[in-house]
Amino acid sequence: MNNINLEKEQQLAETLSLDFTRLEARVVRSKRVEAVLSSNDIIPSVLLFAKDKLGYIHFSHMSCVDWLEEGEFEVVYILWNPEEKINLLIKVRTKRENPTLPNIDYIWRQANTYEREIREMFGIEFPGLVAAKEFILEDWQDIPPMRRDFETKEYVDEHYFHRPGREDAKDVREEIANRSGEEIPEFAKKFSRK
Amino acid sequence: MININDKNSQRIVDIIKEYARKQSLFILAYGTGCGAIEIPPTMTSRYDAERYGIRGAATPRQADVLLITGYLATKTLKRVIRAYEQMQSPKYVIGFGSCTINGGMYWDSYNTINVLDKYLPVDVYINGCMPRPEAVLAGFDKLKELIQAGKADGWKHYQDNLEWYRQNQKKVIVNWQMPDYNW
Repeated sequence: MNNINLEKEQQLAETLSLDFTRLEARVVRSKRVEAVLSSNDIIPSVLLFAKDKLGYIHFSHMSCVDWLEEGEFEVVYILWNPEEKINLLIKVRTKRENPTLPNIDYIWRQANTYEREIREMFGIEFPGLVAAKEFILEDWQDIPPMRRDFETKEYVDEHYFHRPGREDAKDVREEIANRSGEEIPEFAKKFSRK
Repeated sequence: MININDKNSQRIVDIIKEYARKQSLFILAYGTGCGAIEIPPTMTSRYDAERYGIRGAATPRQADVLLITGYLATKTLKRVIRAYEQMQSPKYVIGFGSCTINGGMYWDSYNTINVLDKYLPVDVYINGCMPRPEAVLAGFDKLKELIQAGKADGWKHYQDNLEWYRQNQKKVIVNWQMPDYNW
């Protein structure tokens, strides 16, 4: 399987790299090309170029990754070319403080749904977004819940009830292990009840 | 001539009423979580719950039983409370699946409640993730027993302790825009 033909993919990566200076494209594997943008302003032009000139007419998905340690959000636009059968992943990054990205829902209307979801779950603003209002969450008053610095456990402890466990709940693992002359492995001990 | 207001005659009337009630349980067709997928096999030919008098009802005002099938998001809870309060008493709630008992696998989710009986009076819990149709039928059997014994009175408890329930409900539902009913 070493001689997979990656000609089409390499050609696409070259085309993208030549046409945009602030873009680095590379072949991930067959049928998958990744383009990392170093500037947010060129997102609409890259997407329009891919749609109109390269045949990436299908907008598959748009997702967001929270890189908390680096202080950045990464948004990935996934496009599909039905003729060439290639996935094109376009990645951009934005700072975690006041994150803003250009709106693209005039290029693909279905991008509107993804942008509204990302706006609500991660708090990224898309200026000019159609219907930029409450989407899935209702009356949410905390920080956006899909951010990694949102403390889910604390939120649940504060807002919801926990049912207390059974009073006679005992840890029987030790007893069973002793009875059969076995030992609980070190990595499994952290799951034992105190 | 029987005196209806006599205590013993009243008991006889109650037994007849309870017997009639338990023979026809209309479920509100409202699937709140993934557990709703167990209702079609319970209703259709293999398990055929209708032979026990259990069948669907289209609107809250026609229904006797509210099934909370699985996890309950806070957004759904608001609709469920509204549906429950529209139902005619006597009305019964069945908590279905482990998510309604203690949160199940969603116990630390930011938008699902964990303990259902803090918000609605639950008569019967069916545990399991998911409960099989046999378990669902067993749960209905238990509910019938309770009805016949006159112990399925969660709706009375709800009316008597409305303050307490409202307090818990308003803790979760921030924007409270609900009609008040004068039962």
